[in-house]
Amino acid sequence: MFRRRQGRLRGGGVDSNNQGGIMKLDRRVFLKGAVGGGCALALGLRFFHFADDATGYAEQVEQLIRSTCSPNCTGACGYRARVTNGRISTLIQAADYPEESYNPRGCLRGLSMMDLIYGKDRLKYPLIRTGPRGSGQFRRASWDEALDYAAGKLKAIAGKYGPEAIAATIQVPGTGYVQKGAMVALAGLAHWTMHHGYDQNGDLPMFWPMTFGVQSEELESLEWLNARYTMIFGSNVMQTRLPDAHHMIEAKRRGRMVVVDPDFCSTAAKADEWVPIKADTDAALALGMAKVIIDRQLYDAEFLRDFTDFPILVRKDSGKRLLAGEVAALAGAAQGRAIPEYRRLFVIHNGNGLQILDPERLNPTHADLEGEYQVTLTSGQVVAVETVMTALKRTLADYTLDKVAAITGAAPEQIERIAVEAATNTPLHIIYGASNYQWYNGDLKGRAISLLPVLTGSIGKSGAGISTYAGQYRIRFNLKSWWFPEGSRLNWVPYLHFLQGTGPRYPEHGIKAMVGGWGNPFDQHNMSNRLKERATSGELEFILTTDFQMSTTCQWSDVVLPAPSWYEKHDLTATILHPYLQLQQPAIKPLFECKSELWIFRELAKRLVPEHVGHFFPELDENAAALKVIELLLATGGAETAGITLEMLQKGPVRLHSPAPNDRQVPFYEQVAHRQPFPPPSYPAPLAATAQFLSSGRIEFYKDEDLFLVEGEQLPVHKETFAETEYKVNPQSRDKYRLRYVTKNSLYRVHSTHSNNTILLELQDNQPKVFLNPAEAQARGIKDGDLVQIYNDRGKTRAHAILDPGCSQGTAIFEEGWWGRYLADESYNSLTYPWIKPLHEIYFVPGMWSPTTAWNECLVDVRRISA
Amino acid sequence: MSAKMKISLWLSGILFLVAMAAWLYQLREGLVLTNLQNSYSWGLYISGLAFFVGNAAGGLVLSSSIYLFGAKKLKPLAKLGALTAFANVTAAMLIVLPDIGQPVRLYNMLLHPNFTSPLVWDVIVLNLYAVASAVYLYILMLPDLTGPLSRFAVKVQNPAEFSEKWAKRIAPVALLFAIGIHVVTAWIFSTQGARDWWHSPAMAPDFVAVAIGVGTAVVLLAGAIAYGTGEKFQEAYRTLALIIFVTTGIHLFLMMNDLVIHAWYGNAETHRIMEIAWGDFAWAHIFEVVAPLTGAWLLLQDGVRRSLPRLAGSAGLLIAGVFVHRFLIMPAAYNNLPMTMVPLGLPDSHWSLPVASGRFFPGMGTFVEHYAYAPSFIEVVILLGIMAYAVFLVLLAIAKLPILAREAS
Amino acid sequence: MKMGMVIDLEKCIGCRSCMVACKQHNAQPPGTWWNRVFTPGSHHHLTPPARGVEFFLPVHCQHCENAPCEKVCPVGATYHAPDGAVLIDFERCIGCRYCMAACPYGVRQFNWESPEKAHQRAQYQENYHYGYPADHRKEGRLVYTPLRPKGVVEKCTFCAQYRDKGEPPACVQGCPGKARIVGDLDDPNSEVRRLIRERNAFQLLPEKGTKPTVYYLPPKPKEI
Repeated sequence: MFRRRQGRLRGGGVDSNNQGGIMKLDRRVFLKGAVGGGCALALGLRFFHFADDATGYAEQVEQLIRSTCSPNCTGACGYRARVTNGRISTLIQAADYPEESYNPRGCLRGLSMMDLIYGKDRLKYPLIRTGPRGSGQFRRASWDEALDYAAGKLKAIAGKYGPEAIAATIQVPGTGYVQKGAMVALAGLAHWTMHHGYDQNGDLPMFWPMTFGVQSEELESLEWLNARYTMIFGSNVMQTRLPDAHHMIEAKRRGRMVVVDPDFCSTAAKADEWVPIKADTDAALALGMAKVIIDRQLYDAEFLRDFTDFPILVRKDSGKRLLAGEVAALAGAAQGRAIPEYRRLFVIHNGNGLQILDPERLNPTHADLEGEYQVTLTSGQVVAVETVMTALKRTLADYTLDKVAAITGAAPEQIERIAVEAATNTPLHIIYGASNYQWYNGDLKGRAISLLPVLTGSIGKSGAGISTYAGQYRIRFNLKSWWFPEGSRLNWVPYLHFLQGTGPRYPEHGIKAMVGGWGNPFDQHNMSNRLKERATSGELEFILTTDFQMSTTCQWSDVVLPAPSWYEKHDLTATILHPYLQLQQPAIKPLFECKSELWIFRELAKRLVPEHVGHFFPELDENAAALKVIELLLATGGAETAGITLEMLQKGPVRLHSPAPNDRQVPFYEQVAHRQPFPPPSYPAPLAATAQFLSSGRIEFYKDEDLFLVEGEQLPVHKETFAETEYKVNPQSRDKYRLRYVTKNSLYRVHSTHSNNTILLELQDNQPKVFLNPAEAQARGIKDGDLVQIYNDRGKTRAHAILDPGCSQGTAIFEEGWWGRYLADESYNSLTYPWIKPLHEIYFVPGMWSPTTAWNECLVDVRRISA
Repeated sequence: MSAKMKISLWLSGILFLVAMAAWLYQLREGLVLTNLQNSYSWGLYISGLAFFVGNAAGGLVLSSSIYLFGAKKLKPLAKLGALTAFANVTAAMLIVLPDIGQPVRLYNMLLHPNFTSPLVWDVIVLNLYAVASAVYLYILMLPDLTGPLSRFAVKVQNPAEFSEKWAKRIAPVALLFAIGIHVVTAWIFSTQGARDWWHSPAMAPDFVAVAIGVGTAVVLLAGAIAYGTGEKFQEAYRTLALIIFVTTGIHLFLMMNDLVIHAWYGNAETHRIMEIAWGDFAWAHIFEVVAPLTGAWLLLQDGVRRSLPRLAGSAGLLIAGVFVHRFLIMPAAYNNLPMTMVPLGLPDSHWSLPVASGRFFPGMGTFVEHYAYAPSFIEVVILLGIMAYAVFLVLLAIAKLPILAREAS
Repeated sequence: MKMGMVIDLEKCIGCRSCMVACKQHNAQPPGTWWNRVFTPGSHHHLTPPARGVEFFLPVHCQHCENAPCEKVCPVGATYHAPDGAVLIDFERCIGCRYCMAACPYGVRQFNWESPEKAHQRAQYQENYHYGYPADHRKEGRLVYTPLRPKGVVEKCTFCAQYRDKGEPPACVQGCPGKARIVGDLDDPNSEVRRLIRERNAFQLLPEKGTKPTVYYLPPKPKEI
C-alpha cells in the first residue's frame, strides 16, 4: 500500500520523485489561501471559529535536502530535511542506502536535531569573554574582532612558549573529514600540539595494535547477519547502535546471540542467552573457553598455523621469541633475507626441522603447532624453546572450568557449553564493547577474547571476527592531501600526559592554550575538574572553542566562534557500521552569523600562517571551498575512494571500496583470502608505524617486548580488578568505596550532545540518573527517585537513584553526557583518574598505540543527599 | 426587599460576575489555568455538573408528591421546588461551559449532533427539564401574576383552576425529564468501559436516589429559610425529611453494593481503584458516607427541624456530603490510568502506561503515572460563582415573583 | 480497505525513535506526546521490572473499529475516515474531553493552552516550531494543522498528511528497528494479515471490545 521512498537526491538536494508533490502542495496551499480568504468573508462562521489560529502558509517554499547526521555516535545516518521558508520543519531518515537492509538509518536523537539547531543554546555570534572563566559572561564581537583577538593571543603564546604550547584536539575524524581537516591542517602548519580523541576518549582498544597490529577494525552491521554465533562482551548495541540493532535481532534468526555482561542491559534483554559475570572478569571467562576449545581440539589448526604466531618458537630461558639470526642452522639464510625494517625473522618447526618463518608471505608452512625443542644458537649455546601454542596451553592450565567459574561467577557447565557452541557454530562474531575494555587491563581482556575467533578460524571471513564500535577513529581512506599538507608538523601528546602534566612529548612549558571544536572536554573528559582548575588558575592562558551550541566548554572559553550544524554546511563522512561515503549538505543557511569551521580556520590561518593560506582555497567561498576539498579527498583517497566522485555522492551514499567481495566491510579479508601479511594499514599512519607491532606479519598473541615479560603479560591472562590502580593508590578503598562506577551512554544523548534537547529531556523526566541494585540502595537507605551523591576521594556528582533489579551488586551506573548545569556543576568526570598502564607507552603512534583513558577503573560510593 | 435580601443579592450577583470574569480569563489563557491535565482531564467542573443536576431534583419531588401522590401539605413548597430545580439545572448547564475548550463552537451540537453520545442526550434532557421546570413554575405562579405582573399572565378564565389542571398535566412529563437528567448524567460516566470506577449499572439508580435526597434537602433548606420553621410547615418538612432519609439510605445502599461487588471479585483494576479510593481519598470517602447519613438522620429529628440554624446545618451537612460524593466521581476514575495491563512475564504485577500531561514547564516531568488533583483557584472561583448564580436566581425570583405562598408570608 | 498496523515487540528495542518522529512530524508541542513507548512493569523506561525480564510497549491511537471516543463525541468531530483511521476534525472539536474519558488507551491529548506558548517556554530561536508545515484536509475536514487551536483534543492520525501522499506514517518511516508494518487488514494476503495469522498477534485490552486495528506481535520467548 505504501511505497517506500525510492527517490535519490539530486545535486540541488530536491527529491526528484517528490518534486511534483511539493509543487502540488504549493499550489494547493496557495489556492487555499486565496479561496479560503473569500470563504471566510462569505461564511462568517468559518472566520468565527478560525479566528484564533490564522496560519499563513500560502507563500511557503519547500525543499527536501539530504544531509548526514554526524554526532559522535559515528552512526552517520542519512536524513532528509524538509525546509520551509528557510527553516527545517521536519527531519526523517533519508532511507536511500542501496541495500534496503540499511534503511531507515537514524534514531530519536537525529530525529530531534532541530531542537538543537533552533534551541535556546544555539550560538549566534562570535563571543569574547568578559567575566571570569566559566562565568558564561561574554560580549558579542564581530568576526574580524574575534578572529584578530584570538590570533593575537595564539601568536603571543606561540612566541613566548613555542607553538607546541598550543594544543588542539581532533575528535572523530570520520564524521567530517573536511571541516575537521581544516583544523588539523592549521595545527600542523602552525606546529601546534595535537591530542588524539581516540585515546583521550578511552575508546582505543589496545588489544587491537597488540594482537592485530591495527588501530581498530569491525564488521559492518549488515555482516552481523552472517554470523552463526554472536558473543557480545560489554556492549549495549541495542541502545548505542540503534540504527543497526535490527541486524542483531535478525542475526538471531540464523544464529545464536550470547551477551556477557554483569548487568541486565537492553542488549542482554534481547539475547538468546545472558551470561552475567562479575565485572572485569571477562579475560578469565575467555581463557576458560579457550582452554575448552583447545582441550577438545575444536580449534582450526590450519588457520592457527598460517595466520597466527601459534607455531612461532619462544626461548624458554629469556621468554623472547627465537630469531632466525640467533639459530646456528638458520643464521646464514637469515642474513641473506631482505625484509622491511619492521619485520623480524622468527623460527618455526615442521617436518623438516627448524624453518625461518616468512613475515611477508602467509603461505602454508605445515608448522608444528605444539612442541618443545632444543636449539643450538650461533654462540653454540643450546636453549630450550617451545611453540607459542605450547606456552599458551601452559598458561591456560590455570584456567580450569572450576577456577574460571569461581572468578567469574558463571556456572562451569554454562562456560563449557558456550565454548563448545561458539567453536562449533562458526563463523563466530564477537562485539567487544568499550564498557569492557575501558579498564586498566582492558587490553588483556581484549587479547583473551580475541583468542575465541582466532582459535575457531573466524577471522577475515564474512560474518566472522571481533569488532569494536566505540569511538571509532578509523580513518577510511588516505586524507593526507587535505589534513597533512607540505610543511605540516604536529606534536602529538596523549591527553593523559596533558592531564598528568608530564610525558615524553609533553611541551617544555606545558600546554598554555587549547583550541577545540566538536567536543566538550569541560564536561566530558577525564578529570574535567582539573581542566577547570587550570583554566581558573590561569595556567591555561587561552581557550578557543568552535561549536554550534553554548556548551559547558564554550562557557569556559575565552573566545567562542559560532559554527554551523551538519544541516548548514558541506562535509564528507565515512564511519563505522556501514561503509558508505556520504555528504553533509546545507539544507539551510548557517543560522545567524555562524560560519563553517573551514572558513574559521582559514581565517585563523590567514592571520597565523599567511604563507600557507593557499592550502585552504582562499579564493573560494566557504561552500565552494568545502566542495573542492571533497573532490580533492576523493581523488587522492587511494583504492578506497577510487572512481567515486562528488556527483555520485550528491545523488546518494556510495560504498567505499574494500578488498572483500561486494566491497563488504570484512576486516582482514585480504590477509586471509589472499594470504597477505598482517596488519593492513591504519590511516593516516604509514604501514611501518603499525606493522612494527606485528613483526611476524601474523596475528600475535605472544608479546615479548621487555615490559610484557616483566608484567607477566606475554600471553593474555586474567588480573585482579583495581589491584594495580585504586587498591594500590589507596588500600582503604577496598572497604570505603564499594561500588564500581560505570558511566554508560544514555539513549537520550550522544555523549554530551543533546544534553539540552528539550524533546529528549521530556523523555527522561529531566533527571540525571544513577542505577543501583535494589539491595545496594536499601543498604544505603536510598529509595527510588532519591537525589543521591556519588563520591570518592577525587570528586563527586549527583543524580536521582533508580533501583534497577538488572543492575549487579557492587555497581553504580551513571548515564554520562550531562552538561554541568544539570548537575549543579559537579562533573561526573571529577571522579575518574588518568591511570596509565606502562605497556601502553612501549610504542607511540597517536590514537593507535597510546595511553588510553580507563573510565571504568574507578571506585565510588553513593549516599542520599538529605533534602 | 429586606436589607438581608439586598445584601445577599449583591453578594451572590457580584460573585457570579467575578466567576464570569474568571471564565473569560480562562477562555483567553486556556484550560491550563485549571489543575487538570491529560491523565486527569475532568475535575471540579464536571463534578459540579453532577452536583447541580442532583440538586435540581427538588422540583420533581414536590410536583410528584403533590400531584401524583397527593401530598397537599407540600403545596406551599411547590413553586420553591420548581424554582430551585430551574436554578440548579441551568447552573448545571452553565458549569459545563468553562470545561469546554472551544465553547464558541457549541453550535456544532445543533449542526452535527452525534446521537450515540450520552453528552448529547444529557444536553437534550437538561434543556427539556429546564424548560419544563420553567413552564411548571409559570403555571404555578399564574394565579398570583397580578398587579404589575399581570402583563405576563396568559389570559385564561380561571387562572387558579387552569394552574391546577395544567400543573397536574405537566407533572408526569416533568417527572420523566427529571428522572431523565439523573439517569442520563449517570450514563455519561457509567457507559464508559475505559473507567472501571464508573462502569457500573448501579450508577444511574444511585444518581436518582442521591438526587432525590439532596434535591429535597435543597428545597427543605430553601423553604426553611423562606418560611421559617414554624409549626405550620413542620408536617411538610417532616415529609421531606423522611424522603431525604429514605433516599439517602437507598443511595448509600447502592454505593456500598457497588463497592462490595467491586472489592469482592478482587481483580487488579478494582484493587487499584480501591487503593485510590481508600488510600489518598479515605477521609473524603468517610465524609461522603457519614455526612449525608448524619444530615439525613438529624433532619428526621423534630428538634432539628424546629430550629432554623440546626435545620440549615443538617441540610448543609448533607449537601456538603453529596458534593464530596460528586467530587469523588473523578479521582478513582482518572488516577487509575487507562491502558492498564499485566506485563508479559510478570503475572503478579499490574502496570499502567504513563500519559503525557500536556502541560509543559521546563524542568518538570512530562509523563504522569499518578496525579494528586486538587482544583485550582480559578476552578474554585468559577464553581462558587455558578453556585452564587443559583442562589442569586432563587433570591431574585423570591424577591420579584410570587414564589412564596401568600398565607405564609 | 482497512488501514492496520502491526508492531513487532521482538523487534522493538524501546528506542523511542517513533515517539520523537511522531512528535516532530505532527508538531506536538512540548508536553504533548501522541505516541508512548514504555517498559511494562517498570516505573523507568529501559529499566527491567525484574532481573531477566524486559520488553517494550509502544502505544498510540489504536484506531479502534468500535471506538468509544467516536461514539462519545457529541459533535462528530472524531470520526472514522473511509480507510479506517480514526481522525479528529480540528475545526469541529469543542474540547469537551469526553473522548479522553472514553479512551481505554489514554492516547488522547488536549491543548490546555495555545501550543505556541509551550514552544515559547522551550525558548526556541525566533519563535521556531517544528512539524509538518501545512494544513491537511480529508474530505474537507481539517485533520492536521501544525499549530492546533487551544482547547481541542488531538491524537495520532496514522499521519493522515503522509498517507494521503502514499507515504507511511512518520513512526513507520522513523523506526530504526523496522518493528512497525502498515497495510490493509481487508486484504487476507497483506503482510499485516499474514503476520497477524502467523505470529499470534494480540490486541491491547481486547476485553474492552474496542476492536483495535493496531496489532502486536509478542516477543519471542527466551531459551532457558
